[in-house]
Amino acid sequence: MISLNNIEKVYRTSSIETLALANINLHIKAGEFVSIMGPSGCGKSTLLNLMGLLDEPSRGTVEVGGQVVTQYRDKELARLRNQNIGFIFQSFHLINDLSVLDNVEIPLLYRKGDSTGPSRRKLAEEALERVGLSNRMKHFPNQLSGGQKQRVAIARAIVGRPSIILADEPTGNLDSAMGNEIMNILQGLNTDGATIVMVTHDETMAKKTHRLVRLFDGSMVGDSILMSNA
Amino acid sequence: MIRHLFTLIWNKKRTHALLLIEILASFLVLFGVTSLIIYNFRNYAEPVGFNYQNRWAISMDWGDMPDSVSYPLRQQLKQRVLAYPQVIAASISSGNYPFSNSTSNGRPRYNGVQFNVFNYFVDPDYAKTLEMAVLEGRWYDRADESTVVPQVVVTRDLIDKVFGKGQPGVGKLLINDEDKKDKKRIIGVVGNFKQDGEFSPTTSCIFYRASKTDWSNVLLVQVQPGTDAAFEGNMMRELGQMVKGWNLEVSYLADQRVSKQRFTLVPMIIFLVVSTFLLINVALGLFGVLNVSITRRRGEIGLRRALGATEGSISRQFVGEIWVLATFALVLGLILAAQFPLMNVFDLDASVYLTAMVVSVLVIYLIVTLCALYPSRQAATIQPATALHEE
Repeated sequence: MISLNNIEKVYRTSSIETLALANINLHIKAGEFVSIMGPSGCGKSTLLNLMGLLDEPSRGTVEVGGQVVTQYRDKELARLRNQNIGFIFQSFHLINDLSVLDNVEIPLLYRKGDSTGPSRRKLAEEALERVGLSNRMKHFPNQLSGGQKQRVAIARAIVGRPSIILADEPTGNLDSAMGNEIMNILQGLNTDGATIVMVTHDETMAKKTHRLVRLFDGSMVGDSILMSNA
Repeated sequence: MIRHLFTLIWNKKRTHALLLIEILASFLVLFGVTSLIIYNFRNYAEPVGFNYQNRWAISMDWGDMPDSVSYPLRQQLKQRVLAYPQVIAASISSGNYPFSNSTSNGRPRYNGVQFNVFNYFVDPDYAKTLEMAVLEGRWYDRADESTVVPQVVVTRDLIDKVFGKGQPGVGKLLINDEDKKDKKRIIGVVGNFKQDGEFSPTTSCIFYRASKTDWSNVLLVQVQPGTDAAFEGNMMRELGQMVKGWNLEVSYLADQRVSKQRFTLVPMIIFLVVSTFLLINVALGLFGVLNVSITRRRGEIGLRRALGATEGSISRQFVGEIWVLATFALVLGLILAAQFPLMNVFDLDASVYLTAMVVSVLVIYLIVTLCALYPSRQAATIQPATALHEE
């Protein structure tokens, strides 16, 4: 589903060059639930950004669905992100000036041709039902708890029915009960066929996934299958 | 997407209230200035209806002398003037000659229509002296002196108002609804007669034949091109000797036209300058607000890119948002502006206001688009990964 081949990522400024990732080879199969762990600054988010086509590697290739996308143009990358990938962020990234329903609809606005206003609305309502927030559709983000906000973000990630969900510390800002709730939703989505890659600091959450990839100083230092979940 | 943008801007209406008021105010000022310009431009496009080049106006003041006594002397002055080889034509007229500051008008009701009518008391040589084109019928001649019903020449505008647009006027009677004895027979129709020059509107005018008792105190003279001041000096000296005790003053219609034009052009230019400054102010304000807004919304831009927005769609979104904002202001502005034609404010043609509305709306959209282009392009170049990380 996603392959990172000999990836290197270097951040350059006029005076400093920082190696964020080096020699990464990672292949994620369809339907996997992979967690990525490592200390702060080890390159987890950079790795997730490369998988999500939000950033370009300095060297190496990224494949999504068997196609090398490294040379894709902005429009093609945007279409791939829109149709194949759903993002969940630690800080939710909800637009405070839009209602929950309007927030969830956003990915569908960038989908050309096949979505009309009412059909977008319907899909957004279904996604919110899926995360148990059908009674909060008209609310605004600042009227919701942290857990509810993250559920809205999950609804937004799944509204376009992507095959891949990339979650960057989705439980990082939540207490353990809320975190478990979110984790249950992600597990449910994975059971339904979504491929999920999740960056986390939380070992307990990581242990609920199929596979654990460990990073340290920009390099992969571990890649293990968690047999109990696989 | 349009609904999304409307929702977004509507939900942020408090944040944008001042900007909205600013756009609204500039629209209203622009609408006012544009209406004024369109009104004057339309007037300018219409011919004045007479020739003012090489025309002099000699005003005559005969003091306490009775008008009936001064009348033959005025006629003698005219004949003397016509005797000069430099003079092509001459005519005696009331003081409200072209570009003068004098007017004679009333609001009679003819055929159920009440409107402003300008009256001129002139002699049979008036049309010839000013090269006025008679479109229908004829100008007076000396044979008309003894008619029972006064014979008049009117402008086309008067015929259109009283008898309907394009209807013939010659031979018809003008009967004042408020005084049935006040009757005039139309013997000729001229085109425009814009006394105050190019920028004044087309008016309804009636040209009466001046009688012996009328206060016709201006001698209009058409001179040969190139007639100089030396001739003017000689002529005025000779005329002065003919009517001792009278005060005679000469002025040039071409010069008077220039000073009349200033009356219209100066306020128009002032309003235009004020409006331009206001628009520049709005443009700079919008530019600043958009720049700040884009800096504050980097996270949102990153998010939208992550969710599938292209660089182009981010750019279009910001331009779209400012269009939506402008649309809110313009809808309010148009509601206010529409009151002008509906309530017939300033008695201008509704099409002047409608054209001004269209022009003002287009100018406002153009300005907001130009202001949004650079910031929206900046927004499009924001790297999504960086923007999301900053949040």
